[in-house]
This record gives sequence, C-alpha cells and structure tokens, in this order.
Amino acid sequence: MPEFETVIGLEVHVELLTDTKLFCGCSTAFGADPNTQVCPVCLGLPGGTLPLFNKTAAEYTIKAALALNCKVTPTIDFDRKNYFYADLPKGFQISQFFHPMGKDGFVNVNLNGENKKIGIHQLHLEEDTGKLSHIGDIMSSPISSVDFNRAGVPLMEIVTEPDIRSAEEARLYLQKLHSILCYLGISDCKMEEGSMRCDANISIRPMGSTELGKKTELKNMNSFRSVYRGIEYEVERQRTIVLSGDSVIPETRHWDEAKGVTRAMRSKFVSADYRCFPDPNIPPFPASAAWVEKIKDTIPELPDARHSRFVEAYGLPPYDAEVLTTSKEMADFYDGVLACYNEPKLASNWIMSELMGLLNAAGLEITESKITPAALGKLLELIGKGEISGKIAKSVFEEMFNTGEDPALIVEKKGLTQISDADTLHQIVSKVLAENPQSVEDYHGGKKKALGFLVGQIMKETKGQANPQLVNDLLQEKLRD
Amino acid sequence: MDINKLKNLNAFISLTSAVKTGETEPAGAITYALADNICTTELKTTCASFMLKAYQPPFGSSAAQKLKEKGALLVGKTNMDEFGVGAWGKSSYFGAVKNPWNEKHTAGSGAAAAVAGGAVTLALATDRWGELRQSAAYCGVMGLKPTYGRISRRGLIDCAPSLEQLGIIARNIADLASALETISGNDPQDPTSYKGDVPSYTDQLQERVRTIKVAVPESWADAPYMTKEVKEAFANGLGRLNKTCFQVETVALPHLRQSLITAVIIGAVEAFSNMANFDGVRFGLRAKGNHLQEMYRLTRTEGFSSEIKQFLTFGALISSGNYYNDYFLKAQKMRTIIKKELDQCLQQYDLILAPTTPFKAPLLGDGDNVNNESLLPDSAASYTAAANLAGLPAMTFPLPSPGTDRLPTAALHFTAKAWDETLLLQTARLLENEQE
Repeated sequence: MPEFETVIGLEVHVELLTDTKLFCGCSTAFGADPNTQVCPVCLGLPGGTLPLFNKTAAEYTIKAALALNCKVTPTIDFDRKNYFYADLPKGFQISQFFHPMGKDGFVNVNLNGENKKIGIHQLHLEEDTGKLSHIGDIMSSPISSVDFNRAGVPLMEIVTEPDIRSAEEARLYLQKLHSILCYLGISDCKMEEGSMRCDANISIRPMGSTELGKKTELKNMNSFRSVYRGIEYEVERQRTIVLSGDSVIPETRHWDEAKGVTRAMRSKFVSADYRCFPDPNIPPFPASAAWVEKIKDTIPELPDARHSRFVEAYGLPPYDAEVLTTSKEMADFYDGVLACYNEPKLASNWIMSELMGLLNAAGLEITESKITPAALGKLLELIGKGEISGKIAKSVFEEMFNTGEDPALIVEKKGLTQISDADTLHQIVSKVLAENPQSVEDYHGGKKKALGFLVGQIMKETKGQANPQLVNDLLQEKLRD
Repeated sequence: MDINKLKNLNAFISLTSAVKTGETEPAGAITYALADNICTTELKTTCASFMLKAYQPPFGSSAAQKLKEKGALLVGKTNMDEFGVGAWGKSSYFGAVKNPWNEKHTAGSGAAAAVAGGAVTLALATDRWGELRQSAAYCGVMGLKPTYGRISRRGLIDCAPSLEQLGIIARNIADLASALETISGNDPQDPTSYKGDVPSYTDQLQERVRTIKVAVPESWADAPYMTKEVKEAFANGLGRLNKTCFQVETVALPHLRQSLITAVIIGAVEAFSNMANFDGVRFGLRAKGNHLQEMYRLTRTEGFSSEIKQFLTFGALISSGNYYNDYFLKAQKMRTIIKKELDQCLQQYDLILAPTTPFKAPLLGDGDNVNNESLLPDSAASYTAAANLAGLPAMTFPLPSPGTDRLPTAALHFTAKAWDETLLLQTARLLENEQE
C-alpha cells in the first residue's frame, strides 16, 4: 500500500472590526434589516462609485501583517477583480492583486510539543460581497434576494503556503491564527457568524514526491471542527480515487456538515479570467516607515511571547501556559490574578479547573465572568494564609461565581472562617472520641480506616471549618494517649 | 434665445421646468446645460442610453451643485453619444445632434450645440479622449478640459475613470474662466480630486502675459483622415499668431501618434470594468431572464447600443488572457512614455499647439458609410487624447475661417503644464482680443 503525503494550503477571510465600510461611511454592524446600511458607493450606483479609503482598515491589516511576521508593502494600492455576480454591486471587487499588504510571513504552531512554522504567502485587504438568500436549494429556488449591507465591509484574506500536512495541523494553524487576530482586536473572528471563513486547497502525493498533486478547493466549513472533519474526509476521498487508479478532478467542493461528506459544487460558470488591473479611482497611499512603526507599537504581547513569559517567569508547565494564553482575555485574567496574589501554579490550577469548569457549564465567556481577577486573587490569599480550607474555598468560589461577591465578605457573612484554634479543636476532638468508642477501639485494633471516619465526624461537627491538618495532628496525638 | 429654436438640433434630452413653463430667467443670470451623464436630482440622467432611460439619480454632481449655488440657472440636460463614447453624435438613444451652423453635419455633442446655438451661456460635459474639445471645435466655440483632479468627478457617470473628466464649453473666455473658478477645487467625496488652491482665474485673465513659448509637433499634419482644408486653415492660423505674444517652434514628439490607440485601449478596458454595474440588479433597465446569467445578457443586450457593446467587447478582449500583456499592459507603458514626453516638452515650452481635430464636423451619416473597423470616428481624437493620457489641461479655440458650408473649419488646440489652466485662459483671451 503506497504511502501518501497530504498537502494543504488555507485561505482565511476575516471581516475587520471597523465602524465603517472599506470605501464609504456605511455602518458595518451585523444583523441590521436588509439593505439599510448602503449608499451610492457600496451599491455601485452610476456616478457614485468613487471609493473613499478607510485608513483604519489599512491600520488593522498592517497590524495583522506585522503580527504574522510579514513584510509590509511600502505603498498601499488596490486593484479591480472583474466578474459578474448578483452579490457584487459594481461588477468588480476592489482587492489587492498586485501588491498585497503583507508577504512572506509565518505562524508558529505547537505540534505534539514540537514547533512548526506555517508559511504565510500573503495577506491582503479587499471588499466583502453582499449576501444572497434563496428559498431552499439555490438551483430550485424560484427567487433569490440580495442584501448589500455586507457589501464593502473590509475583508482581510490570509493565504498560507502549502505547508500544512494534516487536518490536525490545519486546525492548529486556524486556532493559532484565530488567537493572534483576537489578541490584536481587529476582528471578532466568529466562524459561525461568518466573520472568519476558511477555504482549504487539498491535494495528496506519493510520499517523497516534490510535485504537487491535483488539488480540490474545499468550502463551507463553519467551525474549527468542520475544517478538521472536512479535510479528513476529502483526503480519504482523494486517497481512494488515487488508489483505484483514477485521478482527482480539480474542482471546488462543498463540505456538507450534516451528512459529513464533500460534494462537487454545481457551477454554471466557466473558470474566470478576472482581468485584474489597478483601480483608477483610488490613488496609491504610502505606508510610511514611521506610520508602520507607530502601528507596531500598538500590538499587544502576542500568544507566543506570552506563552514564553508564563513558562519562564512564572514557571508554569507548557500545557498550562498553552491553555491560559489561547485567549487574550483568559491570559489577561491570569495576569490580573497574579498581580493580586503571586502564586502562579495555584492560580493556574484554580483558573483551569474551577473557573473554566463553571464557565463551560454555564456556557459563558471569560469576559462574562462575575469573578474579577482581583477577587480570585483575594480568595487564593485566604487559602494561602490558612484562613479558609481548600474545600470551603470551593464553595466560596461557587458563591462568587454566582453573585460576584467579595470572597472575604462571603466568608464573614457565612462564618466560614477556618477553625485553627487548638483549644477549640481540642474540645471537639475529645467530644467526638467520647461519642465514638467503637471507632477508637477499631483504630487501636488496626483498622486505620476508622481514622477517616473520625475526621469526618469532626468536620461534620465544625461544618467543615476545622483546619484539616490540625485536626489530623490532634486526633493522632489523642489516639496515642 | 428661444430654446425651442434649438429643438430641431436635438441638443437637449430634458429641460428644466423653468424653461418648459416659459418662465423668464432672472436678469443677468448665467444659464448652463449639463451633458446627460452628469447626475442631477431635478432631472433624469440617461447617458443617452436606453439602459438609463428612466434613471433618476439620488444625488447630484458636485460641480453642478457649485454652479447652482452661485445662482446659475440649469436649462437642461444635453444629448450626447451614448455614455459619451464617440464624438459623432450618432449612438445616442435619442438620435444624433445636428450642428447649429449646418444641420447636415454633426455637432459632436448637444452641449456644444447648445452653447454655439446660444441656448445657454455655458455647458459642462465630459472629455474622455477629447470629445468635449472636438465637439466645441465642430461648433466653433471654446472648450476646456482642465488638469485631471481640478474639477470633482463626483456625480459623473464615466466609463474610463483615469481618462475622463468634466470640462467646460463656452462662447467667450470670461464666462469660461468664471465657471472654472466656480466649479474647481477639492471635493472630499472624490479621492482623485486635487487638494491645491484654486487660482482666481477671472482676475488673472486681466494680467499681461510675457511672450509665450509654443511648441508645435512636427507631426501635426500626419493624423489619419487629415483634410487639406484643416491643414490650410491651421497653417494659416499659425501664421497669424501675434509674433510679439507667441514664439512658435517645431518640436519632435515621436510618441504623440501612439496616443490615440493607447487611450482607446485603456479607455475600453476601464469601460468594460466601470460599466459592469449595469446589470439590471439595482437600477436602470432590467430584462426578464430565466436565470441570473440570462438576465445579465438580455439586460445588456437590450440596454446598450451596438457601439457600446462593440467598445465593451473590445475592452473585455484586450484585457483577457494573453491580450492583457500584449495590449493592455503595453498601452499602460506607452501612457507613461507619452506623459514623460509631454512633460519634458513642457519644461522648455509653455504650450503645445496642434489642430484640435484632423477634419471639421463630419456629415451626419458619414459614419454609416465606413465599415465598423474604420478609425474615422476615433481619429478625431488624434491630437486631443494625449492630454487625457497625461492628465494635462488642454483647450480648443476656434479659428475664424468658415468655409462655404458655414462650418468652422479648424481650431487651435493648446496643451499646458499640469495646473496651469491660467495660461490657457490668458492665451485664449489674447486670441479673443485679436479677433475682435
């Protein structure tokens, strides 16, 4: 059975979070009534198609180019990509064909503990199209409607080199890219809402071959999971074809999430010649070194740098650092906790198990958490100082999660302070021993399990507030007597 | 001037209600016409095309708005070649425009006919590779195409954005200078609009001018279809230039003859792209089709004249596949060469002078007698296209030499340095004074 190597390149489209469209003042807000966020420019009305360039969109794209280690173009210019479609008002899309904003970058992904660089071929800025809707299937729908609210929204396209070798690598790359773009705050990157979209170019070749096989382009994958599943399916499909002696038809295929298969898209259109040429209505805009430098200064600490800092400065295990740095908000939260109480591993444990557990169960994002980093820091400090036990802390934490109350207040209000006073505990221990002679006898008879029962009785008596270490010490001392 | 006298010229597509009701214009008001590819909120804007026969733009042209704010009175929208493609006046959905001097001949545009016929003080029209200046020459009036960026292009339904811009047609230089001063200036809505200050052209008209150094290309008589009549009239005009005001020399501009084909190629490719928005989806004509592609095909088949379709098809062809490099890319390179050649010449000379057109206003119907591949209509732009390629200001000034057919025979075409409209206006003032 011949071995195959999978070769994948990804094209990711990301809608930028600017307030207005790329070439006009219309709002980019999601979810408005159809065709309410339009004007003569983005509708391509005759005499009205003079594009006014949105500098913020360029800033965001340059930011991304820098974060993805790309070379930034010295001059920003735009080209027309000419084709007819109902969602394309002007009959051409303004894009960057000749001079993309960024070139020759890379993204690091962690592949089973090994670092792998995925090359970024280019990154460019263009206009989004409008949105078509059909009644049922596109081919049988009696009418189609078009909403131009999205037409002209700034869209960034990021194209990788064909460096990706598996569905898993594709997913890791996408997650890393998602993480970086979210850190930059330039897109909300919601695959489900379409603000981040991914197409995959997939081919296979005999192991050791340097030639590229015939590729298919896979579309319509709306989550990280569907990217993974879609690629897995498509690679297997191509393997079966090649093994049977046939050759793969180069075509665009559609991932069917429900059926878990890829299908060739029925396309009436012949392969397009886009006749790209510089848009005569948009004067070139210089991206001065000073401006690019200024943009660079606004880039926050990115996931890789933060990961290193968490490992090196805080001594966190790489796994913890990975989990905590995937989202900027989570990493910010963690840094916030440490700013109040500097016990890195304790904080990481609490965030990764307790906080993430409750957030997941409630379906909440870290940004929606009622617990502030300072409050969690305070709670950890209470534990550290021995004022509450770990077990009590968990119930305090739950209370904090539900109400957002201060941990010290909860402890005080509910009288949860740990009993660490030896005299008080002495009396309780004596009482419990007196009430359970059988257990004492069992213990002395060699049944060490009886000790656990006695501890439990003491905890019950103190409503869990007894200092467990002290209880243990006292109990053993008394039983020796 | 009774507007109705111009009716048989077919100069207007629509008239404002003020004119229709016979309301007398305010004393001293400047009246103006707009070519019908300049958007107005008060009148439809048809581009003389069936495609836009009923199109009412939701906004108006920035330049026209400035005239209006100055108190000028809009008389109507003038007839033109469909979408301004051609200077023949025969592709208009509303029929050809007749020349006010001789109705058997074309006027080139309704704008020039309206000004020459006295219906309006001035008219704004577009100039893609010389149509405005050519039609002004055919009708014996002045026409100015300013530097690219001088006048806002907002609200102009153009087909070749890098070449096409608004210009002014007028009978006398004072009106032209005053209109230019009014409508020039930066428009934040037009990214290609110039941010520099607008000189006070009317004041500068009065200034005394030093001797103007004029370069005449040695190839001035070489254009295809150049007539003996124009040759003689132009040579005559050259000879009559006041020697104390003008110092004329002949220069070599070897690439000038490439300007026509260069402009045609670039113009056609840009038009193919720029006019892709006429798809029947959002405005204008929509033909019924069983599916999207059919709707596009039928809309554009029914909506455009065969001239436009030929032009757009040419643009689609020369920007496709291998033709892209062989024609479109070469044309872009040639454009750079021509621009450099003109700029260099204008470092030594103040103006470049040539005939405006190689022939006078053609007979209506002449275009029908030549086959479709003929360069006759386009060759009218042999001397005017270079200014559009280089973005330079250029102006046509009529020579007073009508033949027996009463038609203006030839006109002087001046090209100046970028942003030096002032010198063009001062030159025209000198010539105007001489003629008086």
